[in-house]
Amino acid sequence: MRSDPSDNGGLFAGRRPGTAPVHFRELPKRGSATRRRIDRHMAELLFAAITLLSLLCWGPIPAACLWVGAQVNYLTSSVSLGILLAFVALFTLLFGALRVMRELDQMWILVRRAAGYDQRSGVVGRIFAITAAICASGFMVWFIFIHGPGSSFISGNGGM
Amino acid sequence: MGLLDYYRQFEEVPEEEVNRELRAEAAERRRKALTRVATLDLSQTTWPDLPHANISSAITFTARRGLQRYPHLRGSELRGELAERHQVPVERLIIGNGAAELLSSATRALIEPGQELITSWPSYPLYPIMARRAHGRAVPVGGGVDALLSAAQSADARVVALASPNDPTGELLASGELGRLLAGLPEGVAVLLDEALVEFSDSQPHDASLALLENNSRLLVFRSFSKAWGLAGIRIGYAIGGPGSEELLAELEPDLGVSEVSQSGALEALRSGIDSMTHHVHSVREERTRLAAALRERHFDVADSQANFLWVAHSELDGSELATRLRQAGVLVAAGAPLGEPHHVRIALRNAATTERLLSAIDKALAQAA
Repeated sequence: MRSDPSDNGGLFAGRRPGTAPVHFRELPKRGSATRRRIDRHMAELLFAAITLLSLLCWGPIPAACLWVGAQVNYLTSSVSLGILLAFVALFTLLFGALRVMRELDQMWILVRRAAGYDQRSGVVGRIFAITAAICASGFMVWFIFIHGPGSSFISGNGGM
Repeated sequence: MGLLDYYRQFEEVPEEEVNRELRAEAAERRRKALTRVATLDLSQTTWPDLPHANISSAITFTARRGLQRYPHLRGSELRGELAERHQVPVERLIIGNGAAELLSSATRALIEPGQELITSWPSYPLYPIMARRAHGRAVPVGGGVDALLSAAQSADARVVALASPNDPTGELLASGELGRLLAGLPEGVAVLLDEALVEFSDSQPHDASLALLENNSRLLVFRSFSKAWGLAGIRIGYAIGGPGSEELLAELEPDLGVSEVSQSGALEALRSGIDSMTHHVHSVREERTRLAAALRERHFDVADSQANFLWVAHSELDGSELATRLRQAGVLVAAGAPLGEPHHVRIALRNAATTERLLSAIDKALAQAA
């Protein structure tokens, strides 16, 4: 921890944490206005791709893995093998998707900067959290009101 | 630039790398600061250290009390303190904005256009300038009291301006010699005795010349707070005259007095700065003896000095050349060439550490010459 006040040139005035300017190796040569506009749209595409991948993590990928597990169980008559393969596929695909999302997030930061924004941090964490909340809410609606016990209550047959 | 390179230029340098570079830069700065040796300026006769803190406090207090007021025209409190210190009536002591201003005023008051100011030479460069400003003529005289007396026989001679100890030679005019000068001067020739450096002398009491004032109304003695007191920045000096000099002294006083801020600094120096001044003077006296002996060992011609500097020459090294070599070694001294003494340099005295550094630089300069 820095404790010598003279390390900042004798002044006690400093920046708030996280507000330091971005350090580039060399001052970037920015593109034309058209290029910056294209970069802005490209950043939006990358954002959409990250969102799509994130959504896949909360529904389609687990569902696909369960389907693969079920197929293995059906073909080999081995429940254990089916569960094992389902989990292997699930973790492989989830972590693969997260890695791809992280790379896309880095690209998104660079493209945003190229588009003229002072982009300090990525967006993948927030997208992941928001899509999780959306998917969890959707699952709860489906589970309670459409396919689960709620559907019985709504149709008036619950408890009969 | 390729497409990927275009986007890669926006990549951020990792914080660890930035910090590593900043730490390396800071270490380099510290290393340079530690290896850099500040130039030692021994060309000035003023004291380089800050004055006693009480003096700065007194000045600040006075400034806060009221800068909107005019100062007391005759600086009565400071005058009283100085008069008591020197055991002279307060009417025969005036204060001014430095001894130099009082000397100039005295020259203007005493010299008519075309008349002469006689001064020993080499001496303080202000004296010929004072004569010119009074539309008079400076007559520099080499030699001692006899040469001055001879020059003063001129019909146009009106003022003899002397520094004791003399700048740059450091020579002190003994009170006996001063008495002989005063006794031998023609009627109408006044003596302006500049004792700005007298505190550094130890060969006779500091107020020895003041004892001569009682019987010599033509003698004016000038003292300063700029040298031994280390208060050159506040510009305070004073003049003392003999009986009958009150009218002339009143004429020399600054028209609207001396800054109250400066007076308060000088007054506080008399009250609480005596110890530090005495310590500083003793340090100079010790180094004067030590440095003079060391320089004589190195075959320098060293004038007997009673001031805070030594006036030296070397048979094998021109004064300007010596000053240049010392400057290259990081020590500044005053070359004698501007005073018409190209073989000499004036070296101010400070303390043991500066003497050591100076001697080391001199040894280097002499080794280059060999």
